[in-house]
Amino acid sequence: MTRLGIAGGIIQVVVITGGAPLLAGVMRQVRARLEGRAGPGIGQPWRDLRKLLRKEPVTPAGTSELFRIAPLVLLATTVTVAGVAPFVTDTSAVGPAADLFAVAALLAMGTATLALAAIDTGTAFGGMGASREMTIMALAEPTLLVAVFALSVRAGSTSLAAVVTATLRDPARVLSPAGLLAAAALALVTVAETGRLPVDNPATHLELTMVHEAMILEYAGPDLALVELASSMRLAVFLGVLATLFTPWGIATTAAPLALAAGTAAFAAKVGLLGAALAAGEVFMAKLRLFRVPELLAGSFLLALLAVTASYFLAV
Amino acid sequence: MSAVMSGVMTSTVYVQLLDLACGALLATAVVIVWRRRLAAIIRTFAVQGAALAALAGVLAVHARDVRLGVIAAGVLALRAVVFPWLLGRALAASGPAPGERETRPLVNVTASLLAVAVLTLIAYAVSRPLTALAPSPAADAIPVGIAVTLAGFFVLVTRRRAVSQLAGFLLMDNGITATGLLTTASAGLLTEAGVSLDVLLAAVVLRALAGRMRDAFGDTDLDDLRELRD
Amino acid sequence: MNLTESALGLAVGVAALAALAVAALPGRWRPACAGAGTALAGAAGVAAGVAALTGRPFSLSLPGLLPLSGLEFGADRLSGFFIAVTGAVAVPAGVYATGYLRHSGTSRSACAFLPLFAASMLLVPAAAWAVTLLACWELMALTSLLQVLAEHRRRPEVAEAGRWYAVMTHLGFACILAALMLAGGGSLLAVRHLPAGLAGTVFVLALAGFGSKAGIVPLHAWLPRAHPEAPSHVSALMSAAMVNLGVYGIIRTGFGLLGGGARWWWLLVLALGAVSAVYGILQAAMSSDLKRLLGYSTTENMGLVLVGLGAAGLFAGTGHRVLAGLALTAALLHVAGHAAFKTLLFLSAGAVAQRAGTRDLDALGGLRGGMPATTAAFAWGALAASALPPGTAFVSEWLLLQALIHGLPGGGTAAAVVLPTAVAAVALTAGLSAATFVKAFGTGFLARPRSDGAARAAEAPGSMLAGMALAGAACAVLALVPGAVLPALARAAAMTAGPAVAGLVTLRLSGAAGELSPLLLALAVLAVTLVAAGWLRVLPGRRARRAARLWDCGAGPLTARMEYTATAFAEPLQRVFDDVLAPETGIDVTHLDEARYLVAAVEYRRRVPDRVERRLYQPALAAVRAWGEAGRRLAPGSVHRYLGYGFYAVVALLIVLTVTR
Repeated sequence: MTRLGIAGGIIQVVVITGGAPLLAGVMRQVRARLEGRAGPGIGQPWRDLRKLLRKEPVTPAGTSELFRIAPLVLLATTVTVAGVAPFVTDTSAVGPAADLFAVAALLAMGTATLALAAIDTGTAFGGMGASREMTIMALAEPTLLVAVFALSVRAGSTSLAAVVTATLRDPARVLSPAGLLAAAALALVTVAETGRLPVDNPATHLELTMVHEAMILEYAGPDLALVELASSMRLAVFLGVLATLFTPWGIATTAAPLALAAGTAAFAAKVGLLGAALAAGEVFMAKLRLFRVPELLAGSFLLALLAVTASYFLAV
Repeated sequence: MSAVMSGVMTSTVYVQLLDLACGALLATAVVIVWRRRLAAIIRTFAVQGAALAALAGVLAVHARDVRLGVIAAGVLALRAVVFPWLLGRALAASGPAPGERETRPLVNVTASLLAVAVLTLIAYAVSRPLTALAPSPAADAIPVGIAVTLAGFFVLVTRRRAVSQLAGFLLMDNGITATGLLTTASAGLLTEAGVSLDVLLAAVVLRALAGRMRDAFGDTDLDDLRELRD
Repeated sequence: MNLTESALGLAVGVAALAALAVAALPGRWRPACAGAGTALAGAAGVAAGVAALTGRPFSLSLPGLLPLSGLEFGADRLSGFFIAVTGAVAVPAGVYATGYLRHSGTSRSACAFLPLFAASMLLVPAAAWAVTLLACWELMALTSLLQVLAEHRRRPEVAEAGRWYAVMTHLGFACILAALMLAGGGSLLAVRHLPAGLAGTVFVLALAGFGSKAGIVPLHAWLPRAHPEAPSHVSALMSAAMVNLGVYGIIRTGFGLLGGGARWWWLLVLALGAVSAVYGILQAAMSSDLKRLLGYSTTENMGLVLVGLGAAGLFAGTGHRVLAGLALTAALLHVAGHAAFKTLLFLSAGAVAQRAGTRDLDALGGLRGGMPATTAAFAWGALAASALPPGTAFVSEWLLLQALIHGLPGGGTAAAVVLPTAVAAVALTAGLSAATFVKAFGTGFLARPRSDGAARAAEAPGSMLAGMALAGAACAVLALVPGAVLPALARAAAMTAGPAVAGLVTLRLSGAAGELSPLLLALAVLAVTLVAAGWLRVLPGRRARRAARLWDCGAGPLTARMEYTATAFAEPLQRVFDDVLAPETGIDVTHLDEARYLVAAVEYRRRVPDRVERRLYQPALAAVRAWGEAGRRLAPGSVHRYLGYGFYAVVALLIVLTVTR
C-alpha cells in the first residue's frame, strides 16, 4: 500500500461515484442527439437519483432481508473494484485485491446477489430477469477469463497494475493483433455484462426483451436509487478497465498533485469517450433475440482465444 | 548509428505491420463465419482481400521484391474488388432481397465459432514444425494462413447457400495464398496467377449455376439439388 | 507409537466400539451412539491426519490379520492430508446424524455401519501396501453400499441406485486390482520403475478405477443416483470424503507409485477433468432435484481437481516443479474446500428434505421463513461452491488459474493448445456454477413456498444445525484465511522443496508473480456495505420504511404458481446447450370437444437425461444382456451337460499341458 495507490483509490471512488451518473447522462444525451431529440441534459440521472433518494423506502410484501441488502452489496462490490483497480494511478490501493480474476469475480458477485434479490420477490418478472442475467453471465465468463489470460500471459501476472505497467513500458503491444483481438473480445463482454445493446436494452420495459430491468422492477425509492447508481458505476468500472488495459496513457505514476489531476482528467476523458462511442453505436443497433446472444458471446470467446493464439505466433 | 537505428526501427515496424495484416486476416475470417447476412459476408470478404494485399505489400516492401509488389496489386484488384463484385452479382441474381441470410447452416453459428476456435488451435499445433524450420516473423505467422484455410473449408462444408459456400471457397483460397506468401515470401507470379484464375473460373461457374438454379427453383439451397436425382 | 498411529488406532477403536454398541443398544439410543461414534472417530482421524501432515509419518505392520500378505499401514504427508479431510467431514456428519437418524427411523444395521464406514475411509489413505489398500477399499465400498441402501424400504428408487452403485464400485475395484497387480503389488510408498507401456496400462487402469470413485465422466453414472438416495449425512460422507479418495488414488499411483510418467497421461487426466467439470455443472444446472444437483456438482468439482492434477503432471514433466507444486496445491485446496462446502450443502439439503418432505426444487421455495438457520447454512455453502468471493472455491480456482497462466511460457506446443482451453473450461464451469447455485438457493429457499410441505417446514433440531455450523466454520476458515492451511498442503503436494504459496492474509505465489487476499477483499466489501448503509440512514430528508404489496406490474395478487420454478430458471441454459444436453421435451395440447380452437389443457414435459449414460451405458448394458442371452444356450438345465463341460475342460487342460511341456 503506497501513498500513490491510496490517493488513487480515494480519487477513483469519488470520481466514479460522482461521475458514473454523469456518464449515463452523457450516453443518453449522445443517443438523444443522434436520434434527433433534444435530450434531458447530462445532469438528469443525478436529478433522478436525488428524487429517488428523497422518496419513502418501500418493502414489498413477501420479500426478505436479502432484497434490501442486495442493492448495498451490488454497490459495495462495484465501489470496491472502483477503489482497488489502478485507473488513475498505476499502483493499486490494495494490491492483493486488484487481481483481474478477483475483479471479475467481485463484479459477478454483485450480479448474482441482484439476481437472488430478483428471485426473492417471487414475481415472474424477477425470476425471468434473474434467469436471463445469470445465463448471460455464465456464458460471458469464458471470454472474460480467456481475454484476461491473453493479456496477463505477456505481463507475467494477472495483477491489473502489472498489466498496465507492462503496457506503459511497451506501448506497441496494444496495436499488436493479440492486443486488438483481446480488446474486441473484452468490449463485447463489457456490452454483455453491463446490459447494453445489442444484448440488453437499458431503456426497455417489454417482457420479451428485458433482462436487467426485469430484475429491479420491484425496487423503489432509495433502494432503486442505489441500484441505478451501482449499475451506472458498473458501466463506468467496466469501461474504465477496458480503457486502462488498452490505453493506459496519462495514468499518474507519481503522487504529485499535478500528475494525479492529469491522471483523473485522462481517466474521465477516456471513459467518457468510450461511453459516447458505445452510445453512438447503440443508435445503429437493434437488440438481439435472447437466443442469439450465445452467438455473440461465442464470437467474443473466439476472438479472445485468437488473442491467446495470436500472441504465440505473431512475434510482437 | 542512426543507420542501425533506422534499420531496427524498420524491422520493428515491418513485424508490426505484418502482424496487423495477419490479425486482420484472422479477424475477418471470424466475421465471415459469424455473420449470417450474405451482403455483410461479401463486404467482409472485400476487407479480407485488402488485408491479404496489405500482407503481400508489406512482404514486398520488406524484401524489396517488385514481383511481390505486382502480386500485391493483383491480389488487391482480384480479391478486394473483382471477387466481391462477382459475389455481389451472384447474390443479387439469386434472390430479390439483397439482405438475404444464411438461414439454416448445417452447424449452427455458435457451434461453428467454437469449431473455428478448435481449428485455430489445430492450425497452431500442426504448423509448429513448419515455423521451426526457418524462424522468422513471417514464418511465425504461418498458422494464420492455415487457420484461415481451415475456417474456409469449414464454411464450405457446413453452409447451404451457394453464395456462402462460394465465400467459404474464396476464404480457403485466401488462406492458401496467405500461407504461400508467408512460407516462401516470393510466391511465383505464375502460380499465383494460375490459382487466381482457377478461383475466378470457379466463381464464374458457381455464379452461372446459382443463376440457373434460381431460374429453375427460385432458390439456391443446395440441398434442394438432391431432388434433381429423384 | 507416535501420535499419528495412536490417533488412527483410536479412531478405528472408537468406530468399532460404537458399531458394537449400536448393535446391542435399544432403538432409542442408536442414533446418538452411531452419530457420536462417527464424530469421535472423525475427530481422532483429524488428529491423526494433522499429525501426519505436519511431519509425523508412521508405519505399522500387522502380519497376522490377513492371510498371505498381512496388513501394512503407513502415512506420509499426502495420506495425512486425505485422512484429515475425511475426519473433518466425519465430525459434522456424525453430529448431524444424531439428530437426523432420530427422525428417519433407519435400521439397526445401517446405524451400526455408519461409524465403520467413516473408519474404513480413514484407513484407505493410511494403507501402505497394495493388498491393504484393496482390503480397506472393499470395506469402504461395502459399508457405504449398506448406507446407501438404508432407506430402501421406503423408496423404491433407492434399490436401483444401490444396484448401480454396487456394480460400478466393483468394476472400479477390479480396475484398481488389475492396476496394482500389474504394478507388482507391494508397497505403495516406493517409486516403481516400469517399462513405459506397462506403466501406461497401469495408470489408465488406476485412473479408471479411482476415477469412477471420484465420479469422473464417463464413469460418473452411479454418483448422481447413489449420493442423493442415501441419508443426507451419508451423502455428505460420500460426496465430500469418499470421492476424495479417488483423487488420492490417482495422485498416489500417478505421482507416487509410477513417479510421474508420460505427457499423454496427464493430458488425458486434464481432458477428463475439463469434460467432467463442464458436463457435471451443466447437468447440475438442469437438475431440479436438490440432492441430485449437489451430486452432479461433485462431479464438477472433482473435474476441477483433475484439471489441477493434469496440469501438475504436465508441468512436472517439463521440469517446472514450482508450477507443478502450485497446481497440485490448488487441487488439494479445492479438495479441502469442496469437502467443507459439500458437507454443508448436503447437510442443509438433508434438513430441507426431511422437514419439507421433498427435494424437488420446483416444489420448494420460501424456506427462509420457516428454516432461517438452514437457509443461512445453504446460502453460505452455495456462495462457497460458486467461485464467488468470499468463497472457498474462489480461492482454489484462483490458484488453479494462476498455475495455468504461469505454465504457458516455455510449456511447448501442448501447453499452448491445452492451457487456454483449460482456462476456458474452468471459466465456463465457474460461470455455470454461479448460475446453478443462484438457482438452487433462489428457487429453493427464497420467494414463496410452492407446496404445502415447503410452507409448513420448521427449523431442523439443534444437533443437525450444530453439524451444519461445524461445516460452515470450516468453509469460513478456508475461504477467508486459506493461508493458514496452504503451507501444509503445499508440503503435502511435495513437488518442491519450499511451498508454492506463502502468506497468511495475503497469498503470494513463490516463483511467479501473483497475490490475492481473500480476507482483505471480503473486509473491503463489508466495509463499503456498512458505510453505504450508514450513509442511507443519515441522508437528509430520510423517511421511514414502509411495507407495501408487491407491485408486479400492477397485476393481481400473486400465487405460487406464477413464480419462476427451477426448471423455468434453467430453461435458457438448456436451450443454449441444447446440442450437448439433448433434452426431451413434449407438449400435449388437449382441445375442447366443442371447438377445436379452444384449449382445455396443455401439458408440458421436460426431461434432461444423462446423455453419457444413454449413449455409453445403455448400449453396454444391452450388449451384456445379449451375451447373457447367448450364454443361456449353454445352460439348458441338463445335469449331464454340465458334468460334460467339466469333463471336456479337464481333458482339454491336460492336453494343453502336455503340448506346452
